[in-house]
Amino acid sequence: MIPLLEFAHVGFGYRNKDLFNNLDAEVFETDCIALVGRNGVGKTTLLRLAAGTLVPNCGDVRLRNKTLRSLKQRDIARSIAFVPQNVEVQFSFTVEQFVEQGRTPFMRMFGALDAADREAIERAMRLTDTWSLRSRVFNQLSGGERQRVKIALGLAQEPRLLLLDEPMQHLDIGRQFEMIDLIDSLRGEGIAILASMHDLTLIEGAFSSVWLLSPGEEMQQGSPHEILRPSVLDSAFNCLPRHRPMLVERTRSRMNQAV
Amino acid sequence: MVWRVVKERAVHEEGHADRQRWLLGILFITLVLAMLAAAGMGAVHVPLRELAKSVIGNRPLSDDQRTILLAIRLPRIIAAAIVGSALSVSGLLFQGLFRNPLADPYVIGSSGGAVLGASLGVFLVPAVSVAGFGTTALLAFAGAIVSIVLVYWLASADGRTPVVALLLAGFAVSTMLSYSAYFLEVLDRDFGEGMHVLSSWLHGTIAQPTWPQLAIVGTMLAIGLVGSMPLTRRLNTLALGEEYAAHLGVSVQQTRIAVIVIGSILTAAAVALGGLISFVGLIVPHILRMILGPDHVRLLPATALAGALFLLVADTAARTIIAPSELPVGVLTAFIGGPFFLYLLRKARREVLS
Repeated sequence: MIPLLEFAHVGFGYRNKDLFNNLDAEVFETDCIALVGRNGVGKTTLLRLAAGTLVPNCGDVRLRNKTLRSLKQRDIARSIAFVPQNVEVQFSFTVEQFVEQGRTPFMRMFGALDAADREAIERAMRLTDTWSLRSRVFNQLSGGERQRVKIALGLAQEPRLLLLDEPMQHLDIGRQFEMIDLIDSLRGEGIAILASMHDLTLIEGAFSSVWLLSPGEEMQQGSPHEILRPSVLDSAFNCLPRHRPMLVERTRSRMNQAV
Repeated sequence: MVWRVVKERAVHEEGHADRQRWLLGILFITLVLAMLAAAGMGAVHVPLRELAKSVIGNRPLSDDQRTILLAIRLPRIIAAAIVGSALSVSGLLFQGLFRNPLADPYVIGSSGGAVLGASLGVFLVPAVSVAGFGTTALLAFAGAIVSIVLVYWLASADGRTPVVALLLAGFAVSTMLSYSAYFLEVLDRDFGEGMHVLSSWLHGTIAQPTWPQLAIVGTMLAIGLVGSMPLTRRLNTLALGEEYAAHLGVSVQQTRIAVIVIGSILTAAAVALGGLISFVGLIVPHILRMILGPDHVRLLPATALAGALFLLVADTAARTIIAPSELPVGVLTAFIGGPFFLYLLRKARREVLS
């Protein structure tokens, strides 16, 4: 089976900091992967490599066996949607105009949105429950609404793979569970998901596997059950011993619930 | 339920499109009427009735009136419309590119660069001839491009252009370049006609153009407008930020270059006829954005028409309120535009302080 997205021996670093060395990983059609790791370990960078907006120094990122280097960005964007952490929009675009931008990879230079575009936009907005917000100004939305609208833009691209950068950021606990439900329903739509996550307690149950990045080490992959263990997390997040009981407590209680 | 929603959406969409169609219609009709009215106004009054008769019927105007209309007023009116349109559209493009509602060809210094280029033109070749004017316009274009590239390079970091950096860089570059034009004047004491042209540029007076000059500048405006059309949608996407736009398949670098080139052609067209006319490119797009929303596709035609109308009215006022002498229209737009600019700056102050 050909993976949807494949990291093959990927090496990448910024000027004074190496982030990845020989990274190998695969995302399949039905995967729902949580990407975890401490701050600055390269979660966003990995998502950008997957979206093709960053190009690896060595190795290859492949979309259905084709290296991203050989593809045009607009072709990549028809299969992979990247939902960034923060979007600053200049001018008072409405939510609908914002989501319409998701059709950019499908547009010709002079063409207008056609019926298929309209349909994709409406579908994306209904899935994310943002249809009722469509005439609102994007910049005036609350954090939770904005998060859902950003995902609507990604879905308007009709992607096979959705990359979410910190989708739980700025969300209160109620909105967090709504987001989990949304991720669940997207899985139901057959969209693979790779999401960077900070709150480990939300992962169990919602995600099929976990990628754990730790500085200077190989990325660990496994089921939530395998990765979300005190012994593993302890070193990856470099928790002080006195903080450890809390971590253990939290992961245990989630696991017990899941069982 | 579904039906209701579908209907709702149709109404919603039509509302916007309708508004744009209405606005374009109103602007077009008003522009034509304003042109006719402006033709009658000035030191020698030509009543509208006589004008109408000469157009519809076969009652020719007196020779004096004919001369005044065809050789003086009509070219001036068309010039004002072209300058206003060019300034407004280049303002719209630069605001989209810099993701900043305060960008205007005057504010960001591309007008200053164009004035220096144009001055070099009149310094080197007589501006009265067609070839001479063509050279002047070309040099104005070169000046506009150089200054905007300079300002862009100075002011932007990581794909963002903070307001303060943009304004400071624009101010410095603009002042430097437009005053360098004075330097040319000092170099050549026998500048004569050139000096007159130069001083009218620095004040922002719409010169009395000849028909061939109008043809050159009109062509530049046409190129600018047609060239802007494929850019409008990309400017919408660019409003999400350069990285996001790049992810969605917009070639950011290419768009940036295209906007700078097209915007500079428009700035050069405006400067070749009217010199430094401030704030038009700021006011017109801003007001239209309040009516039509920020969609550049929708804004472009409305901006082109409204800009023409705005400067035509301003220029007619400038040449009639203290008739028989004239006020430079740049003075008038500065009076209106200055406070408006400060109001926008105050609105954006949070970003300014950061």
